[in-house]
Amino acid sequence: MSKESLEHLSSLMDGEMSRDSGMFLTRRLASDESLCDAWERYHLIRDCIRQPGSKHFVTGLTVKLAASLEDEQLPVVSAWRSNRWLKPVSGLAIAASVALMAIVVTAPQQGALPGDTAIAESANQPFVSPNILPLAPVSQAASFTPSQKAGAERLNAYLLRHNQMAGSAGRQGFVSFVPIVATQVSVQAELDESQETTATVPEQEAAANK
Amino acid sequence: MNSLPRKALMLLIFVSVSGTVVADGSGQARKWLDRMTRAMNEMNYQGTFVYVRDGVVETMRITHVRDKQGVRERMYSISGPRREVIRNSDGVRCVLQDSSSVVEDSLVTSTFFPELPFEKMGDTSVGYDLKLSGEARIAGKIAHRVSFKPKDDFRYGYEYWLEKHTGLLLKWVLVDTDQKVLAKLLFTDFKIGQSVDLKELESSSPAENFVAMPTFSKLKTVVTESSPRWQPDKLPPGFKLSSHNQQVNPDGVFEHMVYSDGLAAVSVYIEKKGSEVGVLQGVSQLGTNNAYSRQQGELQITAIGEVPAVTVKTIATSMVRSVASN
Repeated sequence: MSKESLEHLSSLMDGEMSRDSGMFLTRRLASDESLCDAWERYHLIRDCIRQPGSKHFVTGLTVKLAASLEDEQLPVVSAWRSNRWLKPVSGLAIAASVALMAIVVTAPQQGALPGDTAIAESANQPFVSPNILPLAPVSQAASFTPSQKAGAERLNAYLLRHNQMAGSAGRQGFVSFVPIVATQVSVQAELDESQETTATVPEQEAAANK
Repeated sequence: MNSLPRKALMLLIFVSVSGTVVADGSGQARKWLDRMTRAMNEMNYQGTFVYVRDGVVETMRITHVRDKQGVRERMYSISGPRREVIRNSDGVRCVLQDSSSVVEDSLVTSTFFPELPFEKMGDTSVGYDLKLSGEARIAGKIAHRVSFKPKDDFRYGYEYWLEKHTGLLLKWVLVDTDQKVLAKLLFTDFKIGQSVDLKELESSSPAENFVAMPTFSKLKTVVTESSPRWQPDKLPPGFKLSSHNQQVNPDGVFEHMVYSDGLAAVSVYIEKKGSEVGVLQGVSQLGTNNAYSRQQGELQITAIGEVPAVTVKTIATSMVRSVASN
């Protein structure tokens, strides 16, 4: 992909492109997979976590936000998503990712703790598919409040620290860190809490732990 | 006439022998796991592997060296956005070129490849059926399969394919309780010992070009033998406390406990909530890890680990102040 194409993409994102050029690029996006990937990547990470005062400030490229692609099929449903605890729910749950790993906040059902929906509800903003691309795309990161962003960052910090420990406690060495190196893939999932009752801690085990 | 007692005797011998074989198979599997742990920590190795999850295949390189400088390890992606994780005696550093950021965490005292005794790490036989079976050729080397099938819904299953002579991991499969594959790792080429190219330990991504993402790496935490101020009033079978960290600084609340069943590990973090910590509520999924967060008064309690969501929720919701700390 040429540098020029990427610059056009950037202009389109900033709403600085003429209507005709914009429509041409939009049509190209529909057929050019690599350009479409770049668009998606640019768009998803556009609203970066700006670090006021940082001398290493980099425009964009800090936060990835992903949500359901309108009028498009989800990626191949894997065993992970079709397992008994997680079920795909179109347009309901949210994929929110930050620098380290994608974080999917699941939508709770009956029996969830109070406040469980806080992040999921406010982050549940529609994603604009490249196929119906507006000429001046709307920022996606607006769905992340500072508190939620801090929460997501904290989860990443927890995960990193956990991996340090789990690498030894869980005996898996570098394997614990592989998901961090892997590019995150947005997943929509919902915890079916009604099935959680099938996994219970035996009473004697509970007593033994007291 | 005496055929019945003879049959009973034969049956008894059969049961006894098969029981011994099963027990021996389980014991062998445990020995291979121990061998793998030591080999992955102490040996020098380098290779390319593919990681498959959610139908996406990614290719990565790993270089692991143990020499006079201690243990050094670098893993990076060679397909898609460039990402790398570097681990050494300073801690862990993740450079994420796709987001122009770097995430670092300092070494938690005594956590880098400690040789913890088995008895401190949980008994794997409580949570898993261990089995040593199968042989295959992977990355040009003969590998034995060691499988750990979960006995309940609180943990995932594992399959390790270990190099015949060294015990090094050549293939890893994570399955759910229904034996559906969640993630898979497979080496396509593998070097051991002197043939490892040390140049690959050097990062090609200078940290100064990236934005440092906040972590609590500045918090100096120590592994402590003291009793945690919090403990679960119930734990899934086989899970035991394997380590405990707390913040040295007395003006803050930070406690980190790790529970392990010998294979899977769950971390529980308890800290004072606030704007810096951020609001966390309910279940979150991070790759193959699940997390569950809840708030109790001014505290936020989060459990996280590569276990089913029900496990982290069970543990997080059962955390109570220990009597000793009251």
